[in-house]
Amino acid sequence: MGRADFSYDFPHDRLITVDDLNPLDIQILFDRADYWLAINQSPDKKHDALRGLTQINLFFEPSTRTLASFELAGKRLGADVVNFSAGNSSAKKGETLADTARTLAAMRPDLIVVRHETSGAADFIHRETGLATINAGDGMHSHPTQGLLDLFALTRRIGDVGGKRVLIVGDILHSRVARSDVGMLNLLGAEIRLCAPPTLLPTDVDRWGAEIFHDLDDALDDCDAVITLRLQKERMSGARIPSAREYFHFWGVTSRRLELAHPDCVVMHPGPMNRNVEIESGLADNSDRSLILDQVEAGVAIRMAVLEQLGQRVRKNAGPGL
Amino acid sequence: MSAITIRNARIVDPASGRDELASLRVENGLIADIGEGIAQDSDHIIDAKGAILAPALIDLRAAIEPAFTPGGETLDSLARAASASGIGTMVISPTSDMPMDQPETITSLRAAALPLPVRILICGGATKGLAGETISELGLMAASGAAFVSQGNGPISDTVTLRNLFSYASGFELWVACPPRDPGLSRNTVAAEGEAAARLGLNVEPTVSERIAVDRDTSLAELTGARLMIDRVSTRDGVDAISRARKRGIEICATASIASLVLNAVDADGLDPAFRLSPPLRHEDDRRALVAAIESGLIDAVVSDHRPLDLDRKAQPFAKATPGSISIETLLAAMLGLVHEEELDLASALRPLTNGPAELLGLPQGRLEEGAPADLVLIDGDAPWVFNTRSSASARRNSAWHNRRFQGRVLMTMVDGGIIYNLKG
Repeated sequence: MGRADFSYDFPHDRLITVDDLNPLDIQILFDRADYWLAINQSPDKKHDALRGLTQINLFFEPSTRTLASFELAGKRLGADVVNFSAGNSSAKKGETLADTARTLAAMRPDLIVVRHETSGAADFIHRETGLATINAGDGMHSHPTQGLLDLFALTRRIGDVGGKRVLIVGDILHSRVARSDVGMLNLLGAEIRLCAPPTLLPTDVDRWGAEIFHDLDDALDDCDAVITLRLQKERMSGARIPSAREYFHFWGVTSRRLELAHPDCVVMHPGPMNRNVEIESGLADNSDRSLILDQVEAGVAIRMAVLEQLGQRVRKNAGPGL
Repeated sequence: MSAITIRNARIVDPASGRDELASLRVENGLIADIGEGIAQDSDHIIDAKGAILAPALIDLRAAIEPAFTPGGETLDSLARAASASGIGTMVISPTSDMPMDQPETITSLRAAALPLPVRILICGGATKGLAGETISELGLMAASGAAFVSQGNGPISDTVTLRNLFSYASGFELWVACPPRDPGLSRNTVAAEGEAAARLGLNVEPTVSERIAVDRDTSLAELTGARLMIDRVSTRDGVDAISRARKRGIEICATASIASLVLNAVDADGLDPAFRLSPPLRHEDDRRALVAAIESGLIDAVVSDHRPLDLDRKAQPFAKATPGSISIETLLAAMLGLVHEEELDLASALRPLTNGPAELLGLPQGRLEEGAPADLVLIDGDAPWVFNTRSSASARRNSAWHNRRFQGRVLMTMVDGGIIYNLKG
């Protein structure tokens, strides 16, 4: 379906959380991501959708894959891409986030991609600068491009997720990925299940429109997809989880356990994964079951789609002549 | 397997309220029949001569010492002492010397206990080293057969840690035993606040320490859905707080130590380190409140809190001595003392030693009914005797009960239909 069929243009000038999107927005992004995915598989990857625009990747948290993904996405679309990372930013010298934002805005970028350890940081930067802001992860709040790419990769593999049973297992309490995936799954009409030890679930999680489980075997029953989440190392040493081996014993996703799910059930992980903690090593590498590398590939395409849409808004708002 | 009939016994079963002179027939390790004239020709018949026949006792709290401790209490020595004391089921609890915070420890202790005559359950340490900082592998310990988990004698200071422990344990539906003591008010204290301790110049713990801890812990149990075992309440304040929490409908249970039920601060007067206990001996008013809470059912189980210690750790000034007393051999007799003093009726005294703990842990024993395991104790309720540590079956001699006079002795103990102790040899 082409965009002309919608008579609808992507209306957003920022992407802070997937809750801002409606199913039409998602359809537009998925259609464009399909297109960019094909382009990315060809030897002619360079395009000029964002030519003349400047994209700043402002990363206050260490990141390899997300930063690389946004950088590649911007460059393949022809934008001028600059990376600022926390290690050499002014934040270390005591500058406030507001000053950092206004300073960067004074350099006249068009798109800003923000990752920060504080929930609400991307929204704050958008309000301070008015720039087209993409949230690349803010604290435990949101990581919308991850939610988009997860569902894009999943849809490509299993078709429309409406009515499908999708389980998210792991550290839901601290996970912005879980919050974004739940938002996406709700928008797309999936049946959502969440499974974690009680220490890794928010107290009001029963209001997320999901079914809650503590026992993974129960949760896996007839699932079409399982999204495993990363367990931070510092959470495995007795504060919320006694040990990595106990976590794997009760909440690790294994080939054997997956027999309880639907026969075609696929497994996902946002990475970087702890092998044999969240997911059995052999299962992660089984490309019949595992979408983990598909997710990485989908990530560049989805980010290109998002940057493209926001870039078009930037041009439109600037008016004719540019 | 031949059947045994115990005839002419006063059958007392707190679970059903039964108290009558009758016979009880044991077959294939189970109670086959209770009633008049049920013996068959082939039966081995024991004439109880009117003695009390009750379910064998269940003790939810006893400690051993680490393997290879010179002269230490082992599973073997403790099981011998327990069988002579009418105990059929015993929970081994973690101590600071032996925190039992690894699933491997649970597995090896259970294996070591298999050949012993007494049923032995293992209580795991809820936090690593019982330090109250990091959660033990509760799931793997439960999978290894831990009956429940305990925080030992040390309350958890940090409420976030406590919340996470409760929350995590709730996923496995494990009872978590926590001592009802405020971490600050109980720190470095050795005695209950009051006139006697003030005169002796001891660091003291006020009774509100228990009230604050019960309020705090039950509040967090309510928040997390955890199954909280209030491990040895010892004050009227604590009992009142438990009563309030029960009215809120929270799933909690409570235990009391036999020492807190029978002894008071006057017994400890004079700085004898044998009476250095945790919780400390309280006042007569507190003791009476505990007895009333036994009668009303507010306290589910009475525990021996048997804690064997070597002489070096007890032969110290009162405040320096390690708290604890061997108590397993005097558990039943001390409880029967409350019956002789007419503070409790016999069924109320036996309930927290039989059916009460059995219900908490979902055990089939602890009651006298057809089909239940034949775990029995035959008691001469009146026989006078004096407990002397020199004749104790326990490996240790540290006892708050030394030279105390009792009335009521175990004649025979049976587990699974097998006689594991017989006074007459």
